[in-house]
Amino acid sequence: MIEQIADGASWAFIVTGAVFLVIGGIGVLRMPDVFTRLHAAGITDTLASGLILVGLMFQGGWTLVSVKLVLILLFLLFTSPVSSHALARAALHGGIRPILADSRGK
Amino acid sequence: MTHHLVLRVVANILVGPILLFALYVQFHGDYGPGGGFQAGVIFAAAFILYALIHGLEMTQRVLPIWVLKLCIALGALLFIGVGYACLLLGGNFLDYNALAHDPVHGQHLGILLVELGVGITVFSVMVAIFYAFAGRTGTD
Amino acid sequence: MAAIVDYAVLAFLAVTAVALLHFRNLFAVVMLASIYSLLSAALFVRLDAVDVAFTEAAVGAGISTILMLGSLALVGSKEERPRHTPIIPLLVVAVTGAALIYGTLDMPPFGRADNPVHQHVAPRYIQETPEKIDVPNVVTAVLASYRGYDTMGEVIVIFTAAIGVVLLLGIRQPRGEKESRSNEKGPTRGGKASE
Repeated sequence: MIEQIADGASWAFIVTGAVFLVIGGIGVLRMPDVFTRLHAAGITDTLASGLILVGLMFQGGWTLVSVKLVLILLFLLFTSPVSSHALARAALHGGIRPILADSRGK
Repeated sequence: MTHHLVLRVVANILVGPILLFALYVQFHGDYGPGGGFQAGVIFAAAFILYALIHGLEMTQRVLPIWVLKLCIALGALLFIGVGYACLLLGGNFLDYNALAHDPVHGQHLGILLVELGVGITVFSVMVAIFYAFAGRTGTD
Repeated sequence: MAAIVDYAVLAFLAVTAVALLHFRNLFAVVMLASIYSLLSAALFVRLDAVDVAFTEAAVGAGISTILMLGSLALVGSKEERPRHTPIIPLLVVAVTGAALIYGTLDMPPFGRADNPVHQHVAPRYIQETPEKIDVPNVVTAVLASYRGYDTMGEVIVIFTAAIGVVLLLGIRQPRGEKESRSNEKGPTRGGKASE
């Protein structure tokens, strides 16, 4: 019984993570501007990876593998928002300005 | 330097765990994936992260060039030294059975020292090549 | 069912390789090379070679990308347009590739247990490692003990690469330039004596 709940929860988390991966991928292709594409890539990096890792933790159970997955999740939560920040700062430094609503007249 | 605040804080937090993970991979190579090559690269990656955030001059104060030149030779010397120690203790070159009182313990000791030599050389080579490339642009 | 992952990774590898050849903006090429290394690491995990995948991901997608970006800062990031269309090299490469693929048609199926390559020394290594070396990771045992000479050669190769780079490029200390333009630091800076 508890195994089936764990399996179901793992399934739900992994599928949700995969859906967010696809959404992030479509976003990177379709967004008009560097900064909006960066937001879509950040969804891929942080949210989707985090959800897939939590889903894998349910598969691992109460073993050392789950502890390692928790450490990987912590590391990812630390570094991938910082890498999005670093990319946005580098884009600003390179001279790319965001496309705002008033500058395009849409 | 306060306009790099987020990067600086997170890099300062991360350099310690990265070095620790590199040591874990180095000495855990007997029991899981790992060993000298991977550990040396990860150890070098920590110093390269430090250099990207704090600048090459600070990194060369933390890790001077003479230490790197020493470590490049030290790792290779450790490897070949283990081989010669096996020769002197009665076995063939790189025959770890002769290193300890018992062939199995000799193999353990030999593999540990040899992987340590590989790790030291790979780490110092990667950081030295990074210093050589990054130091040539003139400004940080 | 699991073969779909193999096909997908191989297809991505082929697409990345073609894109690598197509672009002339070298920054994009370096990023694509990093992606190629990451996909190769995934392929190695699929082939059950976890140590190799670890090394490939660390070296290819990590250090190699950083060093190539460093060299891009030295040489500039636009590749020149080729002066001539290389038709004869393309023909040579196509004929050699076709001959190699024709040669692989004669080989035994990939990974079967009674292939000749698995009867040579691999059974001896796998059987003797628990008794004679007692190290759980057979890859480390083969790398460091059974094939110790090869690993010694690899260490010497890395050492020689370092000597080559340091001799050609030289490791410069930027402290000299800091001295000449740091008038605003005042008398608290001790100069080179503060080592």
